[in-house]
Amino acid sequence: MRPENIVVIAKREYSQRIRSKGFWIATLILPLFVVAAAVLPSLLLARSRAEQRVVVVDATGLVAPQLLKGRPKSEIRKASEEVAKFEFLVEPPSSDPHAQRAGLDRRVLDKEIDAWIWVSREVLTGKPVEYHAKTVSNVMTQQVLREDLSYVVRRVRLAEAGLDADRVGALSAPVDLETVRISKEGSRAEGGLAGAAFAYILFLLLYMVLVIWGQQVMQGVLEEKSSRIIEVVLSSVRPFELMMGKLVGICLVGLTQFSIWLVTLAAVATPGVMASIAGLPEGMKLPTVTPVMVLHFILLFILGFFVFSTLYAAIGASFNNLQEAQQLAGVAVFFLIIPVFLMLPIINDPGSTFAVVASLIPLFTPLLMTLRISLEMPPLWQILLGYALTFGFLVGMVWICARIYRIGILMYGKKPTFQELWKWIRYA
Amino acid sequence: MSYSLELRDVRKSYGKFVAVDGVSLGVPEGSIFGLLGPNGAGKTSTIRMIMDITAPDAGEILFFGHPRRSEDLRRVGYLPEERGLYRKMGVTEHLLFLGEIRGLKRRELVPRIEQWLDRVGLAEWRKAKIEELSKGMQQKVQLIGTILHEPDLLLLDEPFSGLDPLNQELFKELLLDYRKQGKSVILSTHGMELAERMCDHIGLISRGRVVLTGELGAIKRQVGGNSFRLVAEGDLDRVHSLPEIEQAVAQNGIVKLLLRPDADGPEVLRQLVQFLRVHEFRSEEPELEQIFLKAVRDAA
Repeated sequence: MRPENIVVIAKREYSQRIRSKGFWIATLILPLFVVAAAVLPSLLLARSRAEQRVVVVDATGLVAPQLLKGRPKSEIRKASEEVAKFEFLVEPPSSDPHAQRAGLDRRVLDKEIDAWIWVSREVLTGKPVEYHAKTVSNVMTQQVLREDLSYVVRRVRLAEAGLDADRVGALSAPVDLETVRISKEGSRAEGGLAGAAFAYILFLLLYMVLVIWGQQVMQGVLEEKSSRIIEVVLSSVRPFELMMGKLVGICLVGLTQFSIWLVTLAAVATPGVMASIAGLPEGMKLPTVTPVMVLHFILLFILGFFVFSTLYAAIGASFNNLQEAQQLAGVAVFFLIIPVFLMLPIINDPGSTFAVVASLIPLFTPLLMTLRISLEMPPLWQILLGYALTFGFLVGMVWICARIYRIGILMYGKKPTFQELWKWIRYA
Repeated sequence: MSYSLELRDVRKSYGKFVAVDGVSLGVPEGSIFGLLGPNGAGKTSTIRMIMDITAPDAGEILFFGHPRRSEDLRRVGYLPEERGLYRKMGVTEHLLFLGEIRGLKRRELVPRIEQWLDRVGLAEWRKAKIEELSKGMQQKVQLIGTILHEPDLLLLDEPFSGLDPLNQELFKELLLDYRKQGKSVILSTHGMELAERMCDHIGLISRGRVVLTGELGAIKRQVGGNSFRLVAEGDLDRVHSLPEIEQAVAQNGIVKLLLRPDADGPEVLRQLVQFLRVHEFRSEEPELEQIFLKAVRDAA
């Protein structure tokens, strides 16, 4: 075997693919999408913030003054502030409610005001506040108004009952869970939800990379076969060198893509960017990724890539066209999908026996061990055992697939049967 | 005689099918050797074993006088019958790749590629993608790819199939050039006319066996005494009925006759004039096609 041949083949695969437009479109579309999803909503919200002039008719005489004062900053959600802002105009209830209501409706229709609300005495005992406006589908604006009113009405009710609203507020404050992740490197505060989300995203990225580039390997082999370049190449390199060169080259392409995505993920996870993402709980922190974790992710990617792509290469070599090959390629995808089903129970309890066993099954190790590492660092022996088992499995796979590849690549014509594939494997 | 390539009793079976059944051949240095045979005779199987793409079941393959080593293959320029190119690659890039897998370095390849592209008139296309080239241009790129590493032995499988006339000339010129340099060329083909014009040695394969091999001139001389040219009027079909005549091929009023080894020319003529008006009857060198047909028939 000549390692330099593998290098030449790998170089060709890498430079061909990295220069294609398709690669960059596929690679950049995801980060663009993530950035867009992260930044656009807050941008849009800021631009579309509703500013409403609202007339308040307050029969209680207690709610309106407080409403004018507004809520203290600490009581306002950041999101609410971005959604809507109100200018309240207080008007006393007149002796003729019907005429007053009709007058207010007219003012809304004349666009002098946006809405009016009617706070009856019964509001203090649980009746709703009436909201009259031309459109009532502005649910987010209404939500903010509801929050404002609830705050004020609650205070009025407490005062009526002879209680100090500030004191009650302090005493009845809800309790939060501060989640602290314990690891050998030391404990630190970390959002539980954020940790799961991070693991989930990483898992899906890896899944995508494995499927996309495995399929690419298969297509590449089929192209070489159908363009009949294969025999020219095989007169200078061994089939094994050709297969390995192809796998190494495409693995590096996949790694390039995976790295770009990881960097995007890391950039999005920085506090500055996180803060600008709308709808996330404030102070949400993503788990910090240590260099050791990155190393494991890369090793697991490489192992996963080789396990599945070797299979894809053998499938590509055995058939004459993509349609034929796709049928068997489903088998490879099947083994990639199983971990997706095992993902949720593992996220919920990454240290369970179930999680440990599942993540040690060679075909599942790349995906599930990545998931576990991003959730909580498993004991080193489990990771190493996972590596050893997968590597052993990989050696067997390469041995079998290289044999199928070697023969299949020069076979044209009819689809091979399973018996024939078996014969190819045993053929010396 | 020293050989660039020698096969000794090489065998290959696929399951029950015997593709190559004990082939022994020698390709003398500085010769153009025609590996001839009908389709399905075992030529491509033999070539694939020579190139170590498949392994023989038995027998020996010697390169330049010694058992084949893997580095010997780098001294061979191989153009398979099924030849393709990476369509998405650039011309220069593709040739660099082919050179590199044969162990050459970029810096020695670049000037060579320039030179060759100039010589075949593709200089302007060096940066174009393969898929942008015409079929004839792609054939030139394939040819350059085959000889770029300056091999000592060329192994061409049906090199002229699908070639336009200009490229045929280019290929021929190149092969003759090669022989002049004392290098060897193996030309696998079923096109007899071409082989006859270019080859000095031949090996005829039929059903996986060598049925005739040696220097073309000697073979012709050996068969030659029995080959006649007949120009005549009358019932030419009756020619076949004479027991002394083994083969008769009529074309444009001329009949090429091949007599049985023990037949006597004047005696045959005496019989022919009984039913034909003979204008011409003379001994001549047999054509390769006649030799080929006879050998295949004899072997069967």
